[in-house]
Formats: sequence, C-alpha cells, structure tokens
Amino acid sequence: MQLLTTTLAFLASATTALAALAPQTSITITLPSTPPGDTSGKLFVFPPSTHGTLSTFGQTKSAPLSVANTLVFRNVTQGSYLLDIHCPTHAFAPLRVDVAPILDGVEGDGHGEAKLEVKAWETYRGNDWDNKGEEAPRQTLRGGGNGGVVFGAKVLGEKGYFMERSKFSVLSILRNPMILLGLVSMVIFLGMPKLVENMDPEMRAEWEENQKKNPMNALMGGGGAPAASNFDMAAFLAGTSAKKEESSGDAAASTGGGAQQGGKKKRG
Amino acid sequence: MHLPTQLSALLLVALPSVVRAVFQDEVGHIDYHYELLGLPQRETTFFHKPRRDDKASLLYTLSDVGVLGAVNPSSGAILWRQLLNGTITDGGGFLRAGEGQNWLASAYGQSVHAWDAVNGRNKFWMDFAGEVKDLEIMEMTENNRKDILALFDENESTVLRRLSGNDGRVVWEFKETSGDVPLQVSTNVEKVFVISLRGSAGAYNIKVTVLDALSGKREDELVIGTKADVHDKDDVILVGANSAAPIIAWTDDVRQKLRVSVLGQKTRQEFPLPADTVSVEIHAPHLVQPQPHFLVHSKTSTGHTAEVYHVDLRTNVITKAYQLPFTSGPGAFSTSSNGANVYFTRITDKELVIFSSASDTVLGRWPLKTSETRLVAIHGVSEVVKKAGTDSYAVRSAAVTDTDEWILIRNGDVAWSRPEGLTGAVAATFVEIPESENLAKTLEQEAHSNPLEAYIHRVKRHLEDLQYLPAYLNNIPARLMSSVLGTEVSTHDGKLARDSFGFNKLVVLATRRGMIYVLDAGNHGKILASKRVFDLPKGQKWAAAGIKADDSTGIVTILGTNNDETIVKILPGTSFNMEVFSKGPEGSPATQSAALLNTVSGPRLFPVGLDGELQGLTSDVLPNQVAVVRGSDRELKGIAIADGKQTVSWTFLLPKSQRIVDVATRPSHDAVASIGRVLGDRTVKYKYLNPNTLVVAAVDESTKVPSLVIYLLDTVSGQILASSKYEGVDPKKHIECAMAENWFTCTYFGQYRLRDGAQSLKGYQIVVSDLYETDKPNDRGVLGDAENFSSLGPIDAPGDVPLPSVVSQTFILSAPISALEVTQTRQGITSRQVLAYLPETHGIAGIPRMVLEPRRPVGRDPTAAEAEEGLIKYHPAIEIDPKSVHTHQRDVIGVQKIIAAPAVVESTSLVFAYGIDVFGSRVAPSFLFDILGKGFNKVTLIGTVLAITAGVMVLSPMVRKKQINALWGAPM
Repeated sequence: MQLLTTTLAFLASATTALAALAPQTSITITLPSTPPGDTSGKLFVFPPSTHGTLSTFGQTKSAPLSVANTLVFRNVTQGSYLLDIHCPTHAFAPLRVDVAPILDGVEGDGHGEAKLEVKAWETYRGNDWDNKGEEAPRQTLRGGGNGGVVFGAKVLGEKGYFMERSKFSVLSILRNPMILLGLVSMVIFLGMPKLVENMDPEMRAEWEENQKKNPMNALMGGGGAPAASNFDMAAFLAGTSAKKEESSGDAAASTGGGAQQGGKKKRG
Repeated sequence: MHLPTQLSALLLVALPSVVRAVFQDEVGHIDYHYELLGLPQRETTFFHKPRRDDKASLLYTLSDVGVLGAVNPSSGAILWRQLLNGTITDGGGFLRAGEGQNWLASAYGQSVHAWDAVNGRNKFWMDFAGEVKDLEIMEMTENNRKDILALFDENESTVLRRLSGNDGRVVWEFKETSGDVPLQVSTNVEKVFVISLRGSAGAYNIKVTVLDALSGKREDELVIGTKADVHDKDDVILVGANSAAPIIAWTDDVRQKLRVSVLGQKTRQEFPLPADTVSVEIHAPHLVQPQPHFLVHSKTSTGHTAEVYHVDLRTNVITKAYQLPFTSGPGAFSTSSNGANVYFTRITDKELVIFSSASDTVLGRWPLKTSETRLVAIHGVSEVVKKAGTDSYAVRSAAVTDTDEWILIRNGDVAWSRPEGLTGAVAATFVEIPESENLAKTLEQEAHSNPLEAYIHRVKRHLEDLQYLPAYLNNIPARLMSSVLGTEVSTHDGKLARDSFGFNKLVVLATRRGMIYVLDAGNHGKILASKRVFDLPKGQKWAAAGIKADDSTGIVTILGTNNDETIVKILPGTSFNMEVFSKGPEGSPATQSAALLNTVSGPRLFPVGLDGELQGLTSDVLPNQVAVVRGSDRELKGIAIADGKQTVSWTFLLPKSQRIVDVATRPSHDAVASIGRVLGDRTVKYKYLNPNTLVVAAVDESTKVPSLVIYLLDTVSGQILASSKYEGVDPKKHIECAMAENWFTCTYFGQYRLRDGAQSLKGYQIVVSDLYETDKPNDRGVLGDAENFSSLGPIDAPGDVPLPSVVSQTFILSAPISALEVTQTRQGITSRQVLAYLPETHGIAGIPRMVLEPRRPVGRDPTAAEAEEGLIKYHPAIEIDPKSVHTHQRDVIGVQKIIAAPAVVESTSLVFAYGIDVFGSRVAPSFLFDILGKGFNKVTLIGTVLAITAGVMVLSPMVRKKQINALWGAPM
C-alpha cells in the first residue's frame, strides 16, 4: 500500500494565519469527464451547481466543481469525514475520507511541520461507519497542481426524475390476448367459408365428410354444420359416437327443417 | 454487518412504488418556478465579453442575496448561477472581470474565487483568514496574465494579496499593521494603491500606500490633505481602478463639496456640488484604453443633474468639461466605453439619452415605451454600440427599478424584465380568491324568509341567471375542444375565480425589501400585483413576525417585528385589485412573534413583545385560550387569556446547559380522517390526537458529546408528555422539527456509537415518532370513551396521567434536509409526505410517511398482517430518490420555507416554497385518485369508441347475413 503524505508547503494559504493553527492538507476529488453511459458528447457534462461536501461533527466544507472536473477541498484538518458529491444530473457514491497525522513521523511537532495522511474508502449509508469498503485508489493529476491528495469519484448513474407515461400504441392493444383471440376467431369466421368455396369439388366433398365425422369441427366451423345442435356430448365423451353416426345425421336434418319453418313464419 | 451496495441500489429501485414522481408533460403545467438572482448591486453588475474574439457579451451580477449569475442580455434567461455563501446574504461581496478574459473574480466574506465566464464552473476557491474589503483585477502584468488584487482586514492589520489569475496562488503579499481602516485597492499600469482611512471616526484622513506592482514592496505613502476631512467611510464615493489616471473622490458630510484627487498625487481639488444635493455617485470607465473622463451624478430631493470632468494625463489637473441640464424626477447614469471613447447613458423616467464624454451633444435619444405608468431606474449598466458606417448608435441598458425589477431597455423599448424582487421573501401564505358576497347573502336571505317567498325569490333569481346562458353555451365548444386536446383556455377572461378543484388560489408574498406580491397559484404563479408597502431606510430589512390569511374575506394580515402591521385586501371583481393599509415600521425591533387568538370576529394575530407579553389585547378575545411565547434562550411561557387580560399560566424552563433550537406545532389545518390505525389483525391502535401539543428541540452542549433533547409539551398545562435524548448530535448543523396529526419528526446530523458499542454512525438523520393513546391495540387507556378531556386534570390525579405511548425510529438520510413541512389535504384521508428542501442539490423532496414509519419491522420481513397494513421492512438508510423530488431537474436555490395548503380535491396539496427562488407545485402523495390527470388521453378514448362503433357497423350486417344464411341453408 502506497502512502502519500502532503505537506503544507503546497498550500497557497500556507502563509496565512489559518495555517499556523493546526496541520492542514488539501484533498482533490476528480470526476470522470464523461460518466459511463453518457453519449451526449458534451465537453462539460456535470452542471456548474455540482459540488462536494466534506462533513463531520462540527464542520462542513464545500467545494464547487472546477473547470478541470475536480473538487478541491483546502485547509482540511484532522478528522474522519463523509464525502458527498451533490449533482443534479448524476448520483455519486459516498466516500469516507480519513485525515490522520502520521504517527511515526519524526517531523510531526505540530508547528506547521506535521504531516497528514489521507485515505478514502467507499462507505455504505445506514451501516457501521467502520464498515469500510474498498480503499479508493489514489490518482495523480496531470500538471501537478496544489490540490494535495487526489481521489477519483464513482458515478452510480444518471438521475431519473420523471415517471414514464404509458403511451398509447396500436401494438400494445394488439398484444392483448383477448384481442388476439378475437382476431383469430374473426379470421376463421370470415375466412373459412371463402376457403371452402374455393376448394375443388372433390376436396370439398371430402372435407364436408370429415366435418360430419368430427363434431368438434362442426362447432368451430360455424353454421355450416347443423350437427352441432344435436351433438351428444355424453356419447362423444363415452367414445360411442362412431356407431350412431348415421342416426344423428338424420336427427340433425329434421331439426334443421324445423328451423326453416320458423324462418318462413317470421317472414310471413 | 456488511451490506453490499447492490442493496442500496435495490432500494432505489424499490422505492418508486411508494412515491409518485412528476411526469415529463406535467412540467410547467402543475408547477412553476421563478429562477432568480436577487437585485443586482451597482458595483457588481456589468456587461462582459466571455470570449475574447466574440462580439456577444453577457450580463454578470453578484446580487444582494449573494447569487452570482450570468444572464443572456437578449432574452433575459439565466445561463448559470452560483450561490456564493450557501445561504441568503445581506448584500456585499465583490465581482470583477478582466478585459478580454474568460473568467470572473469574485469575493465574499473570507474567500476569493474565480469562475469560468461561459459555463460557470469554478476556476479556484481560496479561503483566507481576514475579511475581504476590496477586489480588483490587474489589467497589465509583467507576464501577460491578469492577476487579482484582494484587500483584507485581518485582525486590525491591512493585508493586500496579489493572487495569480490562473490558480489563485499568492504571488506576493503586503502586510501593514497600522490600525488604519482598509478601504479599497486600486491600480494603474505600473503601481498598486492601497487606500485606507487614518484617524478616528468622524475625522479621517485618506492615506494612499503606493506599492510596486511587480514585487509588492512599499514605495511611498501619501496622506491626502492635511485636514481630517473625511467624516465617514461612506463619504468616499469612488476609487477608480485600472484607468490611465485612477481617481479618488469623497465629499463632506453635508454634500456641499466634492473633493477629487488623482491617485499617486498629494494634492486634491475641490468642486462645489449643486445646492440641496442628497447623494452623489461617480461613473468612470474601469479600463486603461478609454480617456480618463468621469461623470458626477448629484441627486437632490426633487431631481438630478450631472457634470462631466476630464483628467489631464500630463499635469494631473482635473477640469470640468460640461454640465448636463437639471431634470426633475429620478434618473440613473451608466458608463460604457469603446476604445478611447467614453459614453454616458442617462435614463430618466421619460427617456433614455446617450452622450459622449467629450462634449454634451446628444448622440441618441429614445422615449421610454413601457407598459407601466412610470419607470423609475435606480441604477443600471449600459452597452453603447456605434452602428458600422453610420453616425447612429444603439444602446442597451440593464437597470434596477424602484419596483425591484431588473429590466433591459433596448433603444427605449423594454426588452425583458425579471421580477428579482421576489427574492429575499420573508413570509408567504395561500389565500382563497374572495367570492363575490352576493350569492352568499341571497342564500342567507332565502333561508330566513318564509318558504313561499323564498321559492318565488329563487325562481326569480334563476330566471335572472338565464342571461348568462348564451355566454355559457357559446363557451361549450371551446371548452370541449380544450378538454379533448389538453390545451389550456382561460375560461375567465382575466377574471379571478375559484375553480371546482381548488387549485386557483392566490399566494401573498412579502419580501425583506418591503414589497408585497400577489401570485396566482392556479395560473403558473403569475404575478398579479406588486406593491411597495413602505420605503425602508438603507440597511434595514422588513421581517415578518406572523402572517395570516382570512379565506372568506380575502384579507391577509402581516405583523412585522418593528411594531408594523400590514393589511392586504384582495378585492373580487373583473380586474385584480390590491389595497394595502400599513402602519410603517417604527423604532427598533419590538416584536418577537405573533400569536393567533380567537376573537368574537374570528381568529386574529396579536404581536408578542420581546419580553413575551401579548400586545394590543382587546376585550373581544375569547377566554380560555393559551398562547405560547418564547422567553429567554431556554424558556417557553404559556400565557392564559381571559377578559382581555393575560397571566402567565406556566413556564417551561430548560436546564442551564440546554438551549432551544426549534419549536414545531401542528399546522392550523390538520384534518384527521381516522382516529385510529387499523392493524393487520383488525384491531385498532388509537392515535393520540391532542390539539394542544408542541415539540421543542433543544441542544445540550454541556457534555463532551453534545446531545439533542426533544420534548413534547402540552400547551395548556405546560406538562412534558414525552421526551427523548439523542447523543452525538452536531449543534452547528441544521436541526429542525415538524409535526402533524399524531406524529412528529426531527432532522439533525448525528455521529455516535450505538448503545451496544458494536457500531458507530455518522450522517444526516431523521427521527420520526408516532403517538398512540396506549401501547395496546383496542385500548383507549385511562380516558376510555370519555367525551371530555382536560389537560389540567392529570395534575389533580397523579398516576392517571394520560401520557401518549411513543414509538420512534431513526433513519439515515442521504442528504441534509431543511424547511420541513407536511402536506395538507382537505380531509386528511390521503397519506402524507414530509416535504423538505435539499440545500445541497437544490430541490424539494417529498419523503412519504410510509417510509418514515416507526412501526416498520426491524431485522425481519414483515408478517402477512404487517404487509397488509402496508409496513415494509426497516432499512436504516433513506436514499432521497430522484423520483420523489417534486422540483425534478429544476435548480431551486435558497429555499427558506415551504408552505402547503389543501385543495378542494382530496388527493392534492398545494405547495409553495420561497426564499431566493420561488417555486410552486401540486403534490398528490397517494396519486391523483379523484381527478383525471394529463395521462387520461381523451383523444384515444374517443378514437376507441369510434373504432368500435365502426367495427360494429361493418360486422353487424355480415353477421346478420350469415345467421340468415345459416337458418335458410339446406341441410347436408
């Protein structure tokens, strides 16, 4: 594990009165220039209101997003901090950042010479604070800079603020099984007679013969098979229908005739 | 316990089932947002070209509420904003831009920052020990880089730092401990001047310290004039910078003489000011190229005039060039330069005129064409462009008006105006549109007369109403079309009227600058009227102690903290009208808050004095009322009122180590639909619904680990009903509570080790407590079914105290929250949401009560009965789901308070937030169950009905034919 220490010498404000009080360091967080899944091709993806906060008991430090896609926290003193990155468009993983003096440092005399060690881990909200995840790898910035220790921030994903309104589409209606059933039966209802008409006479006769033999087909075939009305379900299920074929046909014919008479009466 | 990240991700996915997000097509339909900056300040507003080679310039400002922003001058749209201090400020701060640079430098408080001018990102942010007193850009440096000069006041010593314009590094530092008051910093091409005041208050001398720009070494020190002739630091009007000959100008305290000195010279020149001058402003270009000319703008009580002076670069002699005519009425001047030419723009209430600094010939004159009756510009900035090839000029001026608007005048026309006065709001309330009282009166009349007369009267009235029938019928096609197509048609032609859903309400908003605004919440928050209630002296702010709306009469009363009372009367009728009666502020703050008491004529606000005494009590105040007032930092008092007299009935005094940080009460409209909660096994837990309760949050900083103590008080007896203590709460971070129905919630930052010692926690937290009559279901405790209940009773019978049973649970939040408010609906049937502002992500989130449920089972899955009740397994973290953010992708900054009001439809609560930005929306915590939303597609519905009809028409003859064929067909 590589340890990186930062000294006050970097700091622009090292000469100020603030620096004399307690050892301080700087922490830089780099944000990816293009978050995963971003296809907009924009140079600056994160809006300027993006910023980070380092919070611990008694203090909160805030750092705005810089031109170089970084957040620079300056004058950070010893402590264990919760780092949150607040962005209106993307969600970031929180980090635990510990700033602690190096115990075995011989120069650590507290007079601007002390060295601080900065470490960062993933942290899980609602869990034990000591339940640290993977240690965040340290990075080096191109061109150096005075930003102290550098860590990378992890984008969890883009924030979706809106609910999707279910859109009306003909396809979604057609996908409905009830509609599908209806359509199939309609096709049979309209298409079957046409099909039957177009058959050559022999085929047709054969087909009609089959129709008579199979009472279930008669049910499906619509009005073409008068046998339906006289279908003996019990007999069919009992498997005895084959022998009674002829007689059932006669019975069907007679009932059919009755219906015709009824029709005539109505007309008259 | 190691919880994988997937779980929190899962939670993010699981939560949307309980929250209702905003649909994309509802944006701008149900919500409205004023994206504001605040009133631009005179010294920190300018036009600047963000790209060197680009002609287009943007308008930059650092406003009086601390927002730094860029505005597109052609449309008035905001390009980017930064809230510098994180909260609303009281003006101040510095903003400068280097000529031809793509960045801006700003300073506020103890920090100096630089921002990218195009995209608003930070270039650097440096914090220092002292307070920034002035900021200037060095236009010319040795290495072609523009640097920043920042002047600090650090513990009685003057510190000047030159910061690199690239990264904010300190190039050099100059420190002087002389006890002088650092005033400003200035620079010309090769020298840096630090101007400070030497002497004592009332008799200062101006001291100029000359520094070498390269090294920051002191070269010279001059004291201008021998007499101590500067009375106050406000008398120093201008310290020019970056000009070829920067000047310093000051006046005597009676505004009779103007004294001017060229920086670096010991001599000063004196010029008389016009008689009766009240205030003086000086306008000069801040660049090296323009001629060193400046304009002195003197205002008298009746009008204003201006004189133009020239500085001779060789002899450093200042001469008066010409004088502009005196004009009665207000006016504003601004400077603009183009190469060596300097132009002055004058905006009076009638016209806009531009002059050249060389002579008093008018280069252009445009009469002001405004819709308003009178436009009064307070101050402004201008950009003058000479049209190529002609002698004519074009000018655009951005000016702040006396009605707190920021307008852009392009050649006399108002191109846009921004209602920046809405920022800095201190109080707001919803108020119903007053109905015309006639109908109510006639109905009352009818009720009191004998039945026959009433019937005849009624028939007559209905016959009279027939005259509106043609207009109504005429309206039907348009309404039908708009209803089908989803377009909006204003049915009231500008007339204000209530609607059947209860969305058309007004919002009365008071700002700290003494303005009152009336917004129409039903019509995208349109500003219906604005009025200045009183002119506040400089530096004074209007603060509201209480605001109350009377829905039946349309009267809003605002009690200020300075003994002032404002009554806004909204008049019904065709055109909107607002009447304001105000007793202006007097003297020093004398009111701590306002108490709402019932009187014979309805509830009324009474001011509470600083000593905790109710003022102006009248004999018509109903007896048996208790008002709770604040005493000292750790004291609450209950004041009983009887016969117009008040007596302190109880005092709640916290231990010495504690102090009160927040007090929350139940909202005035807090409908409770059910007195109990039906559990999964059909038993009932009865809610503790005492209307006389309040929550007090106090911090205890005596121990090593500060703690938060939350008390639940009975306001009649002052008795503590419940209390709880939370150790390890940060008293420096925001602590706030909210209360509704039978529960209350508080938010704070906690860092502590759990009692079992195994785990420690750190983060923003929210605790929610439910109050029930007893621990057991189907049990109403000692009171049982008693009809009456007395808060004072328990004292007589100890042991029988009906204390509530409290169930609490704490959650960790993913972000800090503030401005807590609970949604309100008409009947209280709809589940509630805790509305909270997210100060870091600039949004308003609604946390459902279902999530903030203390009875969620911990460490196990809910049983079938619990699941039936709607309880979900406890998870310690609440991630603020973007789908629960009512402001969605809008950037709403600086919200101080959120108010909610019920609509007529039960599902919806109206929400309004104010502070810097103004945002309003409609929130339906349990979905829109009683009205059809935008998602109800009427076109599809009608289309489907038509398609089915057509299908039936086509199919029915076919079926009939088939049936007949079947019947007639020969049997085979």
